[in-house]
Order: sequence, then C-alpha cells, then structure tokens
Amino acid sequence: MKSILSMATILMILLSVAQVNAQDGNSILQKVDEVMFSPNDMSATNKIILIDKNQKQETREAKVIQKGTDKRLFRFTSPASQAGIAFLSLPNDVMYLYMPAFAKERRISTSVKNQNFAGTDFSYDDLEAKAFASKYTPKLLKTEGNTFVLELTPKTKGEYSKVIATINKTEYYVHKTEFYDNGNKKIKEAIYTFKKIGKYWNPAEIVMTDLKKNHKTKMIMENVKYDTGLKDDDFTVRKLVQ
Amino acid sequence: MYKLASLIIKNRIILLVAIGLITIFFTYQLQYLRINSDFIKSLPNDDFVANQYKILGKKYKGTDMGMIILETENVYNVKVIENIKQITDSLRTFEGISTITSLTNIINIKSDTAGIEIGKLIDEYNLPTTQAEIDQIKQKVNEKDMYKGSIVSEDGKATIVLFTLQGDVNQQDLATEIRKKIDPLPIKAKVLFGGFPMMLKDISDLIIKDMLWLIPAVSIVLLIVLLVSFKSLKATILPLLTVGIASVWTLGLMAMLKYDITMIGGVIPVVLAAVGSAYAIHVVNYARQLTDKNYLENLTQSLAYLFLPVFLSSLTTVFGFVSFIFGSYLLMIKDFGMFAAVGTFFAFLLSITFIPAILSFLPNKIQNVENEEIKPSILSDYILLPLKNLLFKHPKYIFTFWILVLIFGILASLKMERNTNISAFFKKGNSTRVSEEILQTKFGGSSPVFIEFKGDIQSPELLKKMSEMEEVIKQNPYVSTTTSVAALIEELNDAMGEGYKIPDEKAKIEQLWFLLDGQDVMQQLVSENLDAGVIQSRFASNKSTDTEAFIKSINEYIQKNSTPDCKISLNGMPSIYRQMDKSLLNSQMSSLALAIVFVFFLIGFSLKSFKMGFYGIMPIFATIILLFGFMGIAQIPLDIATVLVASVALGIGIDYSIHIISSFNFYFNQTGNVHQAMEKTILISGKAIVINAISVAAGFLVLLFSQIVPIQFFGLLIAISMFSSAFGALTLLPIIIILRVKSKQ
Repeated sequence: MKSILSMATILMILLSVAQVNAQDGNSILQKVDEVMFSPNDMSATNKIILIDKNQKQETREAKVIQKGTDKRLFRFTSPASQAGIAFLSLPNDVMYLYMPAFAKERRISTSVKNQNFAGTDFSYDDLEAKAFASKYTPKLLKTEGNTFVLELTPKTKGEYSKVIATINKTEYYVHKTEFYDNGNKKIKEAIYTFKKIGKYWNPAEIVMTDLKKNHKTKMIMENVKYDTGLKDDDFTVRKLVQ
Repeated sequence: MYKLASLIIKNRIILLVAIGLITIFFTYQLQYLRINSDFIKSLPNDDFVANQYKILGKKYKGTDMGMIILETENVYNVKVIENIKQITDSLRTFEGISTITSLTNIINIKSDTAGIEIGKLIDEYNLPTTQAEIDQIKQKVNEKDMYKGSIVSEDGKATIVLFTLQGDVNQQDLATEIRKKIDPLPIKAKVLFGGFPMMLKDISDLIIKDMLWLIPAVSIVLLIVLLVSFKSLKATILPLLTVGIASVWTLGLMAMLKYDITMIGGVIPVVLAAVGSAYAIHVVNYARQLTDKNYLENLTQSLAYLFLPVFLSSLTTVFGFVSFIFGSYLLMIKDFGMFAAVGTFFAFLLSITFIPAILSFLPNKIQNVENEEIKPSILSDYILLPLKNLLFKHPKYIFTFWILVLIFGILASLKMERNTNISAFFKKGNSTRVSEEILQTKFGGSSPVFIEFKGDIQSPELLKKMSEMEEVIKQNPYVSTTTSVAALIEELNDAMGEGYKIPDEKAKIEQLWFLLDGQDVMQQLVSENLDAGVIQSRFASNKSTDTEAFIKSINEYIQKNSTPDCKISLNGMPSIYRQMDKSLLNSQMSSLALAIVFVFFLIGFSLKSFKMGFYGIMPIFATIILLFGFMGIAQIPLDIATVLVASVALGIGIDYSIHIISSFNFYFNQTGNVHQAMEKTILISGKAIVINAISVAAGFLVLLFSQIVPIQFFGLLIAISMFSSAFGALTLLPIIIILRVKSKQ
C-alpha cells in the first residue's frame, strides 16, 4: 500500500513536471517567434554559398525584401546565368517565378514542401517564414549553460519527425536546429549566427548541412535594413516582372 | 624412377604424417573461403569497358541497379501505395544505396494554365487516402512514358522500386541486408527482387547450395561406380579419399591466397573428383594384382612403372586447364584454370605418394598374379568385339561415317549461340528468373544502359543531340524507357509555354536548369561539373544477338554525331555483356588452340613420333567438333561454364588416344600383325577406356542437378565429350592406324 502511494506520488510529480515543461516549451517558443518575426519589413542582400563534399564552392547572390511573415521577393543578381530569376511568395502558398530569358512569369507551386530550394540544402519548408509555434509542438528537454534545448514535433506529417532546437536563454534567438527523419536519424543541421541590428536580432549567417549528402549551404545576410516602410504593392506580379 | 619410388616407399610414414598435417592446415584455411559471383569483376582491371562502367558509377551515383517488384491485382490502391512508401523508406536507411526511385518519390513536372509545378507525383508525407486521389495518380501515370511501363506496368498490376548502389559497396552483402529488411515487411502484394546486385546474391546462394550437396552426390556416384567396377572396398575408398584431400588442399590454397569461389570455381571439387580419381584408381588397381611375397619391393617396382603414364595422363589434363590461364581474358576462367590445374597436380601427387604409402600397410591376399588375359564380359562380348569386327570389315565405311558426322558437326556448330547474361543462369521457375521475366516484359528490362554526352551539358546543340538519341534508341524493340536531362528541359520549356523542345538559347536552358537544381534525379543524369550528362535507359533482352544489334546501331549513330564538342559514348550492362561475350569467343579459340598445341607436342615427345601425335589428337579433335555441333543443335550457348568444356575434354580424353597408341605399338612390336595387335588393343585397353569414360561421365552428370544452368550444361557436355572421345579413340583412331600401316605395307 505504501509503495503504491509513493509510486502515485512520484507519478504525479513527474506529470506536473511534464506540464511545467510543456508550458515552458510553449512560452519559450513564443518568445523565439517574437524575436524572429517582429520586424514589419526587411530588405537585404543574400549571399548563398553552396559547398559540396569536396569543399568546392559555388556562390549565388540575391536581393531579398520581406514584409511581415508571408510576403517575400527574392531576386538573384549573380551568377550572370541566373541573374534576374525571381521568386515572389505570397500568402496561402502562392508563389510566382520570373525568368528573364523567357521574359515570362509563371505561377509555381510546390505541393511537396520537402523539396530543396534551387539547389540549396534548405527545403521550401525550411525557408518558410512561418512562426515556429504554428508549425511545431514544443517540449523543453533541458537547459544547458546559456541555452534551452527544445524538442519540436511537427504538427503536420512531413520530412521531419522532430527538430531539436537550441535557443539562447537570454535573447531567445536560435543557435542550432537539428532535423531528424522519420527513422529518427539526424539528417540535417543548421547553425545560426545572430547579430543585433537596431532593435532586432538578425540571422546574419545560417549554415545548413545535409548530413547524408555531405553538402552545405551557407546563407549570409548583408546590408540588412529593417522597417523601411515597404508596401504591399512592392509584392505584386507586376513588380516581379520588372 | 625406381629411386623415386623407393624413396616414397621408404619414407612412407613421414609422407603420411606430412600429408596429414598439410590437410589439417588447409582444412583450417577453408573457413576463410569466400563466395563471389560478381562476374563484372571477372573482366581484367585494365578492361576499358569495365573501367568506364566503374567511372560512370562514380559520376552518376551508381550504375548497378536493383529492383523490387510488387505484383498485385491493382497497383492503384491505397494500401499498395502505402507499401511502396514503406519499401522506399526502408531502402533509405541503407548507406550503400545512393538513389531510390519509386512511385512515391518520383519527380513530376506539371504545367497548366495555373502555372507550373515541379514536385513529386505523390506527396509521400501526405499519401492519397481516397479512390478519387488514387485515380488522379493513375491518370498522371498513364499520361507519361516516364512512369507508364517504366515504374508502373501498363496493365497496372505491377510496380517497381528502383535503386542504385554506390560503386564501392559489397553488392552481395548489401543485397542480403536488403532482403532481410524487406522480406518481413507486411506487404499486401507479391514481392520479387531483381536487377544485377540481387541476382549476384541469388547466384552466390545457389553456388553454396550446389557445393553443399553436389560434392557429396558426386562422391556417392563415384563410390557406386568404383564399387561396381572393382568390387573392392580398398579400390573404392582410397581414390575417393585422394580426391577429397586434393579438393581440400585446392580450396584451402584458394582461401589462403584470397581467391574467391566463383560460379565456375564451385565445380572444381567435382572436376577433381571425376578427373583425379582416375590416377588413384590406376595405382590402386595395379597394386591389387601384386602378390604378398616381397610385397613392398613389388609395390616399389610397380610404382616406378606407373609413375610415367600417370604423370603423362595428369600432365595432359593439367595442360588442358593451364590453357585457360594463358588463353582466357576473363579472370574467373583464368582462376578456374589455375586452381583446377593445381588440384589435378595435387591429385597426381597424392596418387603416387599417399596411395602407395597406405597400400604398403595393406598387403594383398591374392597369391597369384592375374594375367592380362581377355576375360569374357558383357563389355567385351557385346560392345568391344562387335566393334572390332565392324572396324576390320568396313574400315572405310566407318571412316566415311566419321567424315560425315564431322561435316554435320561443323555445319551445326555455326548455329551455336553465346550467352553471358546472368539472368539466363537461373533455371526456369526460379524466382529470380521469374522476376527477370517480369522486368523484361513489363518494365523494359533490368540491364541499365548509359549513353554519355561529354561537353557543355547546358548547350542547346548537345541537348538536342541527346534528345535525338533518345528517339533513336527508343526505336529498338528492347528499349522502352529513357530518362535524361534533355527530356526534363523539354518538359520545363513546354511548361514555360514554348513547346516540348530544347530552347535555342543557352540562357533559357540555364534558367530552366535553375529549377532542376538540387532535384535528386539530377545527380543521376548530369556530372557535378556540368561537363557531361547521360541518357539512362534499360535493355530488355538477354540474347547476345539482340545486344550486338543494339550496340551496333547505337555506335553507328554515335559515329555520325559525335564531335569534339559533344563526345558520345555507350556503356552499361549490354556493353559489359558484349565485352564478356567477345572475350568468351576469344577465350574459347585461344585456350583451345593452346591446349591442342600443348597436347600435340606432349604426345609427340612421349611417343617419340609427331605423326603419332597428330593421329592421337584426331579423336579428340573430332569430339570437339561434335561437341560444338551438339551445342548448335541443342541450343546450348557458349557461356562462362560451357566455354571450359572443350579444353577440359581435351585434357581428359587425350588419355584414351595415348592408351590406344602405346598399347598398339606394344602388341604390334610383339606380333607384327596389325589385326592381331589392334584386336588386343581394343579388347584390353578398350575396356579400361570405356570404364574410365563411364566413371568420369557419371561424375560430371551429377552436375545436371546443379541449380545453375551453365553448370548443368557443363556437366552434360563433358559427359558427352567423354563418350565421344572414347568412341573416337576406339573407332576413328584404330582406322587411321590400320589404314596408315596398311598403306605402308
């Protein structure tokens, strides 16, 4: 009897800890979302460096403007063969592609979000500027030094079974995310370097490694400007074609 | 010779101990013996085609292709689609697999008024759950050649999961692991495995199965033949023990020197049992006639007498095998020749050491020396005597008969086919063969074809040629599916509203390329540096003639269209098979020529007459023509195993000629009468020859129970060759000798 009682007590304590953890996880993730997605708009130049397993590098550059979390225009400026190719992302997964050689735009859809974006190691899913809290259910695994370690479980079935995110305890930006496939094998890893620009934390560099292909993509953000007053009108097909 | 013989008898205890120790040593080595059925590795390291094939494998994420077939009533079913995903996911966990293509992960380019979509045919993380969704997929599959007849059969009753292996992986081990992982999955369809890596694994399993039961079976057959022939336990056990030890030494040596057991290497023990037992029988049988008095001295003397004939007999056989080392291009055949020769030599060594050493402890109970008199028996009464009478009465008829048979043989041999395709190695009804047939009839085959285009892969000229080439190869009746970057670019160009063709401007191609960048399929189609690309296809026939015609037509096109800016080359399994095929024919020619020359000189020297040497090879020469003729009529192709028959038959069968010639010379010198000498020769030597032919043939006929088709043919053909060369030695050779001596007189 005694032992049953004590077991019940332990169980209750465990459950309550789990609840506390869940709450903690949620609140941490919300704070992360606030840090990551608080600017009204942003413009920057993006340098994308693809590094293959033989350390061979290929660099692409693009200009990017973004408003809120669901409007984005991405226009490549180099190399010459790709200069001018542009993607316009609009709410509800609407995306347009412009190819200057054809002088035509086409609506483009990626019904399958786990596809890699233009030869990088980022999938369309990874690049989505959607709040973490809307995509994942968090669980606080541990606190380690100056970081929280969260286990994020996707709310919809996809390429990843879970994502382990390491988050800065004081500033709530992400240090590292590790992606696990459905066989619970780590397949990708992203390392973030955040810099403070004005009042916002900016992901100045993200290195995404595809562990299976041994291929890396380094995304460097430069000339970042926040809250310059971009309008909805800057994110239209007419603007894309210009 | 006497010195050597007395040395052997004197040191018999040391010899027996040494043989025992060596046998223990090699038995211990046997555990390291490995099976390797990968016969692409049989092409030499510097073979151009094989090397290019390896390079292609590294460049395009693996050339070796495996397939898992799902056969069911209807592929378009929620459960089946789930199963395909399950299999695809299971394959993903293997490090050695570099690409996987299945219904649930295949690329799909879609365009309509709404725009373009580059994605997957099925969203694997959001599998269809309703029949309406499934029907949509069915419609998409039926619209595109890329899917229909390539990944789903036209009748919708089968689908395949294709995978390629990394170049450096052990294919057989991986194939084993794959089966282990896939077999227990709860799949609601019949699951079959196909493609080269899976076939290699199956062949390896069959080699092991064969070795495990064919070797005991051959031993039992030999045991029965020996027991019936000699009615003595000693004369039965000792030869068997000798070939057993020779086999252990040979296989042990192979293991020690890190040579793998190949498909044909597996029959070495059977070959040794059939061939090597003859030497042992010779010694045992001779010793049986020794009296008890001065037994050891008699034994020494008879050993001294036997040494040379047994040595010569084994030497001709060794030469037959050695001819493969120098005459063959394929490593598998060279290795077979080397170890069969070594094994034969071991059998000879043991026959003149081990057997007399044991015999020295087993004196005979016989008191009188048996005379070499002609005793009446079924063999001499019903076969040899009538044969002799016929020979003497109608020598010219028999000679004409042989000439006619040979003309017929030559004509029939022109119909002989060749086969190197591994799928034909499996028996009808074997599950591997069944899946291969399904792959050929429903999915365009399992033999990958690669046509590489070297040059700026983004240039319109190159891509246009690539597209043209795809049309050309699709005209071949055995090609039904092709994949290339040119086809993807055409599709995207169409999606941009500019028609299903390669754009004229490079800028357009580069921008379309941007959309394909990073797609899994691209690694299989273009090189990393964009300086080359391939058309991937599959070929669905395993006939040499079809392969030859296909390669010829492609090469003609290549010659016309290859330029320094766009170098086109063909490779793939058909090319490898053709290379093997060519080398088979060359191997056959050169090893046979070498063996004939070897043996001719050997008999010439030993009989001190090259004329006799020439007559001596006649029966075996006729046998080889007959053999090829039989292969032509019976549609037995020249393959990796049957290519061995002619030289092996030569090595064994030549002994019959030596026997007849030396016996005739002996009696002719005694009597000076051709007819008398030949009569004695046929009745006395004839008996030994027929018994030997029967026992060797019986040993090889056991191979008919092999699980591997070429090995079955090998056994059958050697048996036929044995009868034919015995028959030749007893009819053709005596007639040549009689006519020759008569013309002299």
